[in-house]
Amino acid sequence: MTTGPTTAADSGGIDRRTLLKTVGGSALAVALAGCTELLEDGEDSLADADVPDEPIESGLQTFTEGAPSVLGVQAQYGAETAVRRINENGGIAGREMNLDVVEEGGAYLTNYQQFVDEGKDVTFGPISSSGHAEMVPEIEAQEVINVSTDGTVTTLYEEDFPDVTYSFRFQNHDVMEALAAVMQAVEVLGADSIDTYAGINPNYAFGQDEMDLFSRGIEALTGAEEVYSGFPDLGTGDMSTHITEVNGEAPDVVFSSCWGGDATLLLEQGHANGMFDAVDLLVGPVLYGSANDLSEDLVDGPIYSGSRNFYWGEPSTDQWSPAADLVSEVEDEYGVVPTAHFMSGYGAVTAWATAAEKAVSLLGRWPEQEELATVLENHGFFTPAGYHTIGADHQGYSNAHFGELTWSDDHDAAALSDVNVFAAKNVSPPPGETSADWIGSW
Amino acid sequence: MLEHVLNGLYYGSILFMIASGMTIIFGVLGILNLAHGELYALGAFCAFSIVGFVAGQVAAPTGPATTIVFGLVVLAGSLAAAAVLLPVGGALEAAFIRPIYDRDEVYQLLLTYGLLLVLTDVMKFVWGPSPVDVGVFSAINEIPTTELVGFSYPSYNVLVILIGVAVFAWLAWFFDRTKTGRIVRATAINREMSTAIGVSTDRMFTLVFAIGAFFAGFGGAMVSIGPSSASLGMGLSWLVLSFVVIVIGGLGSLKGAFVGALLVGVSSRVVTPYYPQLELAVPFLLMVLVLLVRPEGLYGTWGEIQ
Repeated sequence: MTTGPTTAADSGGIDRRTLLKTVGGSALAVALAGCTELLEDGEDSLADADVPDEPIESGLQTFTEGAPSVLGVQAQYGAETAVRRINENGGIAGREMNLDVVEEGGAYLTNYQQFVDEGKDVTFGPISSSGHAEMVPEIEAQEVINVSTDGTVTTLYEEDFPDVTYSFRFQNHDVMEALAAVMQAVEVLGADSIDTYAGINPNYAFGQDEMDLFSRGIEALTGAEEVYSGFPDLGTGDMSTHITEVNGEAPDVVFSSCWGGDATLLLEQGHANGMFDAVDLLVGPVLYGSANDLSEDLVDGPIYSGSRNFYWGEPSTDQWSPAADLVSEVEDEYGVVPTAHFMSGYGAVTAWATAAEKAVSLLGRWPEQEELATVLENHGFFTPAGYHTIGADHQGYSNAHFGELTWSDDHDAAALSDVNVFAAKNVSPPPGETSADWIGSW
Repeated sequence: MLEHVLNGLYYGSILFMIASGMTIIFGVLGILNLAHGELYALGAFCAFSIVGFVAGQVAAPTGPATTIVFGLVVLAGSLAAAAVLLPVGGALEAAFIRPIYDRDEVYQLLLTYGLLLVLTDVMKFVWGPSPVDVGVFSAINEIPTTELVGFSYPSYNVLVILIGVAVFAWLAWFFDRTKTGRIVRATAINREMSTAIGVSTDRMFTLVFAIGAFFAGFGGAMVSIGPSSASLGMGLSWLVLSFVVIVIGGLGSLKGAFVGALLVGVSSRVVTPYYPQLELAVPFLLMVLVLLVRPEGLYGTWGEIQ
């Protein structure tokens, strides 16, 4: 298998012709890719389509308050930005889009059912992995498409629900970020230098899934031995016990999928307890999700973070200005740097919107839910993060990003340097194969 | 092992500060206050504003002496943040709790749950939905403590342990040695007799609820100046653990709350490295064990501060 990452310079830019061809010349698709300047000569091939006048009603459930809102509000900003761009560019096949946002905490099913009862055309979210798993049977029963923003447990579509129609997920799933972490660790330290590893991960489906996949990957690539694995409660107020154990074992690599307030807590207590003197490297797939909550002293040390399918500096802004434009827009509008969770919301809306417009173009009328679901399978589209596809398994596939945690004075927020971009095919199994089997075959 | 025990004492000290307020309120008023976790959260948010302000008025620490001054300023700010809870607690008791003392427990639970929701919305309105961080944790850790004896351990944790002991000592002194404290205990033991000899139970109950709220807020302030942020919903898990602590120690027992909190803290921190899957279960297993052996709790005299 190929494991090498690419850098921004390798990934190349995209010219106008390629872009317009890829997105089918759709004004909406180009606008959502962040390339409205390319629309000057565009033609509206959807003018004659039989499309209702009413606006599209959509709903997003995400964490809007409390510790998880560090991620959830970013997803909200992303979805709102996509909807704003859709409406500023004439809507989807001429239909404007409305978005209702509700707090997802503990009410995943109720929220989805409420959206359906309200007659929503599409729903987005949730962030929670366990919440997403809980929702899938209901989504299939109600037959109203849901594009999940996160909820990234790998077994969801590989094993638990391998044959779904209306349930989709945009963000990269766990295997992609866990294996990106493995490859990043190997690149930084070298396979021969990694003899031991440890993990501190949140104690629920996501954290256990991430640790399992990281363990499989790093053991396959380096033969390293696990010396400690702790699972603090999600939203815990204290990780000192786990950090003490890690310090005692002094592993070469520590893996942590802690996110939100847990990620900040890990770094705070890690620094206070000298963890970064005891270990060679910390790799965390979603540490950068807390970019706007980290202080400059926290990013000091051998800390590398993933940024799922979007890091605002990649593709390189000198070749792909939509990302730079997006950062400016988000900082002006919301006063934050957009993280991968922003893209979770933005991309979920964009996936559905571009698929809907494609369906209208094909059918000459507004599609039924089942027809739109069919178009979403194997659907490819651009966002400011680059190119994405929704696979036949209903899972989104995009590049995975990983880089060294650092500080940006310009943005007054954490940033990533030396960012590696891992192609989806290098960090996820081929169609029809489970992640565990695929990694086992290395 | 020593470090795990210290981790447990640190965790238990935080737990005690929160549970002490709950056990005082239950011991005297007989109210199981479901809003106690939100009083703790309110203290954390107040600390964000007050400690953030006062810390901004002093220069950043540059050496041991200035670091100690900085630490004292932060501690004073934390006490000021907790002091906000005194009038808040008093007002809540006078306006909402007092009318239901003679009602069935279910009304108390419903009312305090309603207060929980209201307080959450108030905090959301004032501080917004996202977590907020005071940002003084690393500076506090610059205060020289264990390194003076050749041992490396976060100074913040050491200070929390010391403050936890100081809080227990002050409460024990207050309820054992002061006139007001003795009146409070007398009221808890026999309300009718206290009223008959001229004690204003209304004023006593308001005072007790305010003191309970103060210590919940002080616990929140101590967490807020530490590695955690103040966030909506942060009180829930501490509320549950506080219940566990006061059940282990004996409902209404101050000494029980202290010992129970340290037992929960140390046992969970010592067991976790060997049996990580038991991290969440240890406090509850401990509670079940105590209830089987001593159903009234370790020091329990139900309905009395002891």
